[in-house]
Amino acid sequence: MSVAELEAQEIQLEAPSGLWRDAWYRLIRNPGAVVGFVLVAIFVACAIFAPLIATHDPQETNLLLIVKGCCPGPSRAHLLGVDQLGRDEFSRIIFGARYSLVIGIVAVSVGLSVGLVLGAIAGYAGGLLDSVIMRLMDIMLAIPGLLLAIGLVAALGQGLWQIMVAVGVVNIPIFARLLRGSVLAQKENEFIVAARAVGVRRPRILVSHILPNAIAPVIVQGTLAMATAIIDVAGLGFLGLGPQDPGTPEWGTMLTNVERYFQSAPHLALIPGVAIVISVLGFNLIGDGLREALDPKLRGRVGRFRQRKMLGFLRRRRTAARGA
Amino acid sequence: MLRFVVRRLLLLVPILLGLSILVFAWIRALPGSPADVLLGERATPAAIARVRHEYGLDKPVYVQYFNYLKTTTSLDFGVSIASRRKVTEEIGTRFPATVELALSAMLFALVLGIPLGFLTAKYYGSVGDQVGLLASLIGISIPIFFLGLMLKYVFSVKLGWLPSVGRIDVTRDVRHPTHFYVLDAIVTGDWSTLVDVLKHLILPAIALGTIPLAIVARITRAAVLDVQNEDYVRTARAKGLSPFVVDERHVLRNALLPVSTIVGLQTGLLLSGAILTETVFAWPGIGTWLSEAIFNRDYPVLQAGILFLAVVFVLVNLVVDISYALLNPRIRYS
Repeated sequence: MSVAELEAQEIQLEAPSGLWRDAWYRLIRNPGAVVGFVLVAIFVACAIFAPLIATHDPQETNLLLIVKGCCPGPSRAHLLGVDQLGRDEFSRIIFGARYSLVIGIVAVSVGLSVGLVLGAIAGYAGGLLDSVIMRLMDIMLAIPGLLLAIGLVAALGQGLWQIMVAVGVVNIPIFARLLRGSVLAQKENEFIVAARAVGVRRPRILVSHILPNAIAPVIVQGTLAMATAIIDVAGLGFLGLGPQDPGTPEWGTMLTNVERYFQSAPHLALIPGVAIVISVLGFNLIGDGLREALDPKLRGRVGRFRQRKMLGFLRRRRTAARGA
Repeated sequence: MLRFVVRRLLLLVPILLGLSILVFAWIRALPGSPADVLLGERATPAAIARVRHEYGLDKPVYVQYFNYLKTTTSLDFGVSIASRRKVTEEIGTRFPATVELALSAMLFALVLGIPLGFLTAKYYGSVGDQVGLLASLIGISIPIFFLGLMLKYVFSVKLGWLPSVGRIDVTRDVRHPTHFYVLDAIVTGDWSTLVDVLKHLILPAIALGTIPLAIVARITRAAVLDVQNEDYVRTARAKGLSPFVVDERHVLRNALLPVSTIVGLQTGLLLSGAILTETVFAWPGIGTWLSEAIFNRDYPVLQAGILFLAVVFVLVNLVVDISYALLNPRIRYS
């Protein structure tokens, strides 16, 4: 084997450890992101295995449990107590994860896919089409997100699908802008010009040359959008625009009338809220970690944590010398 | 500069036109008509026809749109179906409530967020920095309405320190020359009312201000970290300026540039997005007004209100852009 061949092999070995592998290593060394993964894993597990984890039927009312006043707190039979209709709070929280997860995923997918298509077309086609699409996005962004979602639910009627669509539509302009920006940044790159020069057709250039390189910020934004979607869905539920059946164990809806029981049963307010915070925090932690891991400026560096440990001593000395 | 402002103002026109079409079309798409809401289910056809005629709903859609456009440009938004008061009048009392709340929330965010961001940057990598980062992440992960409920529970229900609903004690009878209650109390020299109004403001302001607080702290931290390593900061330190002067004049002043943009954008969001906070604290602002209007099919309120909010939002963004250009002489808009 010649030296050149050996070198070629080495280069090939290095090639796949590109952005993604690099990013992955940085991600799993980031303690925040790991915690995020754990939180999201718990959330997803609850959603998938809800019927196995839950101890009761989340919709089953038992008024006998609340004859002595609302509402009994945690007990052996009801791990997190029962709500104002005698339903098992623990089972409702577990099943609530299903609604949040499914609504969140569908909503983000709607926003992401429509936003990506519009953004890619606007950025790549340019001209009049670009102006029309982006002005439309500006108009949508001029309406505050939650108000837009409320308005859409009001127009479409209450129900699960309507909520997903409403929250998804709010996300469209965000993704469209993001993608248009990265497509514009990519468009004049040399490899694009080269592809055009050898006669690759325009749609093909867009799909296989531009999009893969523009996808990193979209992934970060997608994770963060998941967090916002969960909050928005809960907000709609809280305002009384949740799923049509008021017995549905949706976290935001569960918080709607809790104020009445503040004196005797504050846990009814605390538990669904904490469930929302935990799942949202999980996605925010991952999103933050991803942003750092995929940041091209940080590429090739060691994990943040270890790097800080190594540099900590030096920095302390430097600051001491500065007298700061 | 002037040309930049004029161009931005001209760009508003197509956005507003598009917005008016969108709002108009959306309202027509709402199920149920104001006649149903106003007259109930057992209304006679004649009564329905009368109401429809009264609100111009019996004319072709495009005529309705042009009527809407005509009245809007003359700032005549009609009468609220629910309250029978003039829409402009209601905006006049509701908008100050929302502005007062949003500004208080922003004040809360800035007073805590900037020092917090600065300190965590100074002690970058320390335990305090890590705790601060985590706290800011939790801050943006808490739904506003949940935070509001918890604040209400702790400070109103349990401790009884602060009132939990409204802008002012209902038994108070005071004059409202401006409808900014804090200003009103100061202008009329009514100090006990001022205390009452401020007490009502605290909890909603904290609930609404927590997300901007987290964002301001993070942006300040990042900006200070950036600026700290600039050559001119090193030079300033090297020539023996006191650390305080360097921090104040060289680091913080430059680091606050990105913060100012965020503050502007967030204020716009707060003004328009306070629906949940206003609902939790029964705050008589624009947010509660609009969500009630959606349930009541209050067409005049919806048409005027959403358009009004969007205009405010767009104008705030414009002001942010302009002030950014003024604050940062390195940016020149040709």
